[in-house]
Amino acid sequence: MKYLVAVTGIFLAIAFAGGLSPYVRVLGVAPDAMLIFVACWAALRGEREAMLLVPAAGLLKDLATTDPVGTSILALSPIVFLLMLRELRPAESDFVPALLIVSAASLAYGLITMAVLAAAGDGVPFVPSLLRVVLPSMLVNPLFASVVYPLLKRLNPAPRRQHFGVGSAVQL
Amino acid sequence: MLGLSLISILLSESRTLDPAQNLSLTVTAPVQTGLHDLADPVDDFLQGVFNRGDLKRENQALREELERLQGQVAAGEDAERRLAELEEALNFTQSRSEDTFVAADVIAPDPSPLKHAIAIDRGSRDGLDEGMVVLSRSGSLVGTVFRVYDDFAWLRLITDTNSAVSALVLPGDAKEAAARGVVAGDLNGRLSLEMLPSGAKVTEGDLVTTSGLGGNYPSSLLLGTVTSIEERPQAVFTKATLEPAADLGALDTVLVMTSFLPVRLAGP
Repeated sequence: MKYLVAVTGIFLAIAFAGGLSPYVRVLGVAPDAMLIFVACWAALRGEREAMLLVPAAGLLKDLATTDPVGTSILALSPIVFLLMLRELRPAESDFVPALLIVSAASLAYGLITMAVLAAAGDGVPFVPSLLRVVLPSMLVNPLFASVVYPLLKRLNPAPRRQHFGVGSAVQL
Repeated sequence: MLGLSLISILLSESRTLDPAQNLSLTVTAPVQTGLHDLADPVDDFLQGVFNRGDLKRENQALREELERLQGQVAAGEDAERRLAELEEALNFTQSRSEDTFVAADVIAPDPSPLKHAIAIDRGSRDGLDEGMVVLSRSGSLVGTVFRVYDDFAWLRLITDTNSAVSALVLPGDAKEAAARGVVAGDLNGRLSLEMLPSGAKVTEGDLVTTSGLGGNYPSSLLLGTVTSIEERPQAVFTKATLEPAADLGALDTVLVMTSFLPVRLAGP
């Protein structure tokens, strides 16, 4: 069931990106619906599901755009490593780490995409792209993630963790 | 994951995944178009609510523009007769009546913020090939076909950062020579006219067309109008900003010119 929800979410994110993103622009950039969805899902559900979701989302996204297929798989893969932020628990809530993951993933996504496009011969002006697209997206994507993450959490709560230790009840 | 992505990129670059991309557009395009159609009236309504004063002023300006254009049409009819006489006299036949076009509907934009590209519902089965020139319904240059599948194709708009079109600036005064430059796109979706000689006589409102140099575009296709000029002392070249003639953000139907083949496709 959860994977059906995930695939539906990916499909809707692709449709949103193509159909509605031109109307939703903040700081000159449109939110990356796919990245926000995948990063929020990964932050909520952990590495195991992220390892499945990232390739599926990346593949489906690239099939519907002009980027070489595989670019988004590569560009989204840092999300799996960024989940370490969640484990560090810099704040008591899981909300702030999720937004940090989205922000860092936006930077990684932009840099990797530019590198792949450059390698594929699709020249992208590096500095203007960084200043006008990648850096603003580090703010815009977490802004939208602050709406998406609580919604996803309500629809699809995180799996319960097992707590063992003196004085703690075992939760399964 | 790294291996999967690298293999996918290699397969994609060798065009092995084209059928999958064709299928993907078949599935996602109707949903994207539906969302776009839903969002359009909402966007128009919100624009109207927030810009009511602007709309009134725009309406007034358009009425004045209409009046001015009607005057020009009257003068133009006279000029057209004169032109026809001159053409006949010079035995000069410049026409595009022999050109063939394929009309296509725009189905989806590329969501990547690093590119300006749109997908259309025509592909290699309709005779499209990479490099073909694409015009708006009114005949101004929109871009070129840069990736073709069986039933779909992606167009690179002239506002894309990878687009460069050799251009001519038509001066207001017919006695002056037309300046040559290169029209390039940028990340903000604007057009800039670069490589203009610093002494070139360019003024705001001048029309810019394709020059035909390089063989990738036919000549005399309208690109846009000069809106501002950036002159720097001692610079070798002048730069200008253009307003595209076609409304590239609201394209719904485009014309692919199948009769003109760029040098690369035309062969020796």
